[in-house]
Amino acid sequence: MTTEHAHVEEHNHPGPRQYVIIGAILAVITLIEFGVFYLSIDPALMTWIILILSSSKFLLVVGYFMHLKFDDVRFSGLFFAPFLIMVSIAVVLMALFFNLTR
Amino acid sequence: MQYLSGIDDHRTSTGLDNRKMLMWAFLGSDVMFFGTLIGTHLIYRNRNLSGPQEEILSIPITTISTFVLLMSSLAMVLALAGIQRGNMGQFRFWTAIVCIFGSIFIGFQMFEFTEFAAHYGLTPRTNLFGSTFLVMTGFHGTHVAVGILWLWSILFASYKGKIHQGNSLQVEIAGLYWHFVDIVWIVIFGVVYLIGAYGAEGRALEDAHHAARAVGIG
Amino acid sequence: MAANIGILKRPVSTDGVWGWITTVDHKRIGILYGVSAFIFFLVGGIEALLMRVQLAQPDSTFVDAGTFNALFTMHGTTMVFMVVMPAGAAFFNFLVPLMIGARDVAFPRLNALSYWLFIFGAILMNFSFFKAAFPDVGWFGYAPLTTSEYTLSSSTDYWVLGLQIMGVGTTAAGFNFVITILNMRAPGMTLMRMPLFPWMTLIVSFLIIFAFPPLTIALTLLLFDRFFGTNFFDTAGAGADPLLWQHLFWIFGHPEVYILILPAMGIVSDVLPTFSRKPLFGYTTVVFAGAVIAFLGFGVWAHHMFTTGLGAWATAAFAGATMAIGVPTGVKVFNWLATLWGGSIQFKTPLLFALGFISMFMLGGLSGVMHAAVPVDTQQQDTYFIVAHFHYVLFGGSIFGLTAGIYYWFPKMTGRMLSERIGKWHFWLMFIGFNATFMPMHILGVLGMPRRVYTYSVDQNWAGLNLFVSVGAFIIAVSILLLIINIVRSARKGEAAGMNPWAGATLEWAIPSPPPHYNFAVIPTVRSQHPLWDEEANAVEPPPLPAHGEPHMPDPSYWPIVVAFGITMVAGGLLIWQANTWLGLFVIAVSGFIGMRGIYGWVFEPVAEESAERVHAHH
Repeated sequence: MTTEHAHVEEHNHPGPRQYVIIGAILAVITLIEFGVFYLSIDPALMTWIILILSSSKFLLVVGYFMHLKFDDVRFSGLFFAPFLIMVSIAVVLMALFFNLTR
Repeated sequence: MQYLSGIDDHRTSTGLDNRKMLMWAFLGSDVMFFGTLIGTHLIYRNRNLSGPQEEILSIPITTISTFVLLMSSLAMVLALAGIQRGNMGQFRFWTAIVCIFGSIFIGFQMFEFTEFAAHYGLTPRTNLFGSTFLVMTGFHGTHVAVGILWLWSILFASYKGKIHQGNSLQVEIAGLYWHFVDIVWIVIFGVVYLIGAYGAEGRALEDAHHAARAVGIG
Repeated sequence: MAANIGILKRPVSTDGVWGWITTVDHKRIGILYGVSAFIFFLVGGIEALLMRVQLAQPDSTFVDAGTFNALFTMHGTTMVFMVVMPAGAAFFNFLVPLMIGARDVAFPRLNALSYWLFIFGAILMNFSFFKAAFPDVGWFGYAPLTTSEYTLSSSTDYWVLGLQIMGVGTTAAGFNFVITILNMRAPGMTLMRMPLFPWMTLIVSFLIIFAFPPLTIALTLLLFDRFFGTNFFDTAGAGADPLLWQHLFWIFGHPEVYILILPAMGIVSDVLPTFSRKPLFGYTTVVFAGAVIAFLGFGVWAHHMFTTGLGAWATAAFAGATMAIGVPTGVKVFNWLATLWGGSIQFKTPLLFALGFISMFMLGGLSGVMHAAVPVDTQQQDTYFIVAHFHYVLFGGSIFGLTAGIYYWFPKMTGRMLSERIGKWHFWLMFIGFNATFMPMHILGVLGMPRRVYTYSVDQNWAGLNLFVSVGAFIIAVSILLLIINIVRSARKGEAAGMNPWAGATLEWAIPSPPPHYNFAVIPTVRSQHPLWDEEANAVEPPPLPAHGEPHMPDPSYWPIVVAFGITMVAGGLLIWQANTWLGLFVIAVSGFIGMRGIYGWVFEPVAEESAERVHAHH
């Protein structure tokens, strides 16, 4: 049964210790984001820094807290396929609405 | 084709559990849901500059509420680790923490909304920013509230013996939902709050377009 | 799971009206979907006929302009959301579990909820007729036209809320079929051994769960604008963008087009091999083409908006993507033709409709590629040429394909054959009537007749063709009458069908007609794409029931209809709220409580025995 399947896999699952470490990393990244907000830098550079930092938080939560890194690859497909479609649609919409396509 | 006896017709073709797969499919669908909301907010940015805009967003306060929500996610995995190992005490403690932290987050949001209304006169009717921002974050808050209700129900059911190590999958599925609500907030905090409010004071429309052009997405 | 904390005991009887209301059997839900869709097909058809009477002559006063707006709005909304989609769902429900060798769908009660949400949403929308008037804003409901600034009538509120509820039901069904097809296949039924119909159902279900959320958001934003005074579509006061709705609607709307056509493609891909006595040509290619169509379908929405001035680059990109989507579609058409090539073809009614599908859909596809060329599209925008195009794909495509499915699987559903003689009359009348109705619309469009006009004058020289079109529409109506006669007669005294009347290759033909409620006495083990052709010796008789008796199926349940009722009445409360605040709030609170109570009752509903849905909880 599926539950037995899960028990077998549990050996390479992270345990509470790793979870706390991930949680600490997430907190630190949030703190860095907070700091970056008060720097006076080029808005484009700032945008990219935040995008990278937020994406790494996103991936840490999805990969470790949601177990996607250790789970069946088909779950990743169910989640990331619409994610990529949505990001593409949003980027195209922004390009259209900010008149970048004329 | 043949008919073999003793086939376990409850085994799934992929070996994956139906309900867990349902949750992942639902989350995939919810990505489109929140993606459309966030996208609508972004394409309406700086479209009409009358009334309060992103400069009213409080980054220090929201950083704290973001931290609370992130820590609730940590509590959620600890609760799941507890029940998977049969440690009901650990499971109940951390589940209660998730619900409490989630409620604190909702409290921050209610504070934010009432502050906006009281100090800046910002309601969903005020301007485009009010409509897109409050509806988007309001839907996120509703998702958090649903998650809290769900986890309280699970906690309650565990005292009635309906949730135990044998069906920890119920907790895992609720946890997936909770973490998803968390990552939606990670995106909103990064894109809407930090990038949105960066240098917002006195920024002209031209600057926003310039930034959008420079990074290619806005 | 002994304690019953629900107020209602879990029902066990499957008899009578209550048996249908509480049913979780995929076959019964399929029949409910099918009957509902057919009733709405007649409603939508009558709306079309009324429009055609009005347009048959110039300067006609049969209906006024407002009524005409309501007619084309409800005709479009009905045909898309209450006919073609639920008709597809009828086939998904009845056939997909049979074709993949399952006893039911993955979540039987969720399946019932989908149906009740669909029918309640449809009833709510049509209920506007009694309270206000029919919605009259077009099936696409373009904002800002639909904001309260321009459309005061509450009929638009009914349209928004009805569509929202149907959408929730459809999305729930989408989840159900994704999981069912991925997880509930019989042993040996690998994805690449699945018949084409379940394959297309899988792709459609993915499209549903990923394309409906943008519509849900668009409708929600519009709802908030209309009820709570937000500014999403307030172009005059708040500076909202008049194109926002169009973008959100077509981000949903274009995948929706494939949601409407892919089930028909699946049906035809399974009908053709049966009646040519040879396997589908290029099976892998047909599957892959379906997936590519679905994927590209998310990237072409702006071709509905070429004339809004998107800018040269955007227009060029969307035109290119639109043309690209013609390629996998063409691949499918060639595969169907190659399936027929050299087969020993039996011209039974299902095959006639399948051939009608291929030829008519191809014409619609070709005029579709014409619109992909932007200068041509600019000429054709909002003319009858467009009306002709999408009726060739939706009627010539979807309806012909679904009708092929009715003739093909009616014997499986009822145990009786439909009359071949009436069937052939039906086909030829529908084929002739269809072309008489929609072919001249191409010419009318090129002559400049705009869509949605309620009348025209004599000196515009459109009268002759319009009269011809109206006569054609009534020929279609006669053909539908023949279908009704055929179904009613055959259901009672049609020839007995037996297990496999068409000598089909797929699993649904390996069990009795109509199938027993547990479908398969013993779950089959599949070893090829055509289990009944490759090993026919094994498939003459279904195996007897195993010694321990009938397989246990999920018990019926009250909760799906309770939850659906709660959700629908929350929407009803919103509508009342506009007229009477406190009564509205009261209704919302009570029905919200009913809905929540229903969800808790559902979650903690006891099961007497293990069911497919619950089994994992016990391990």
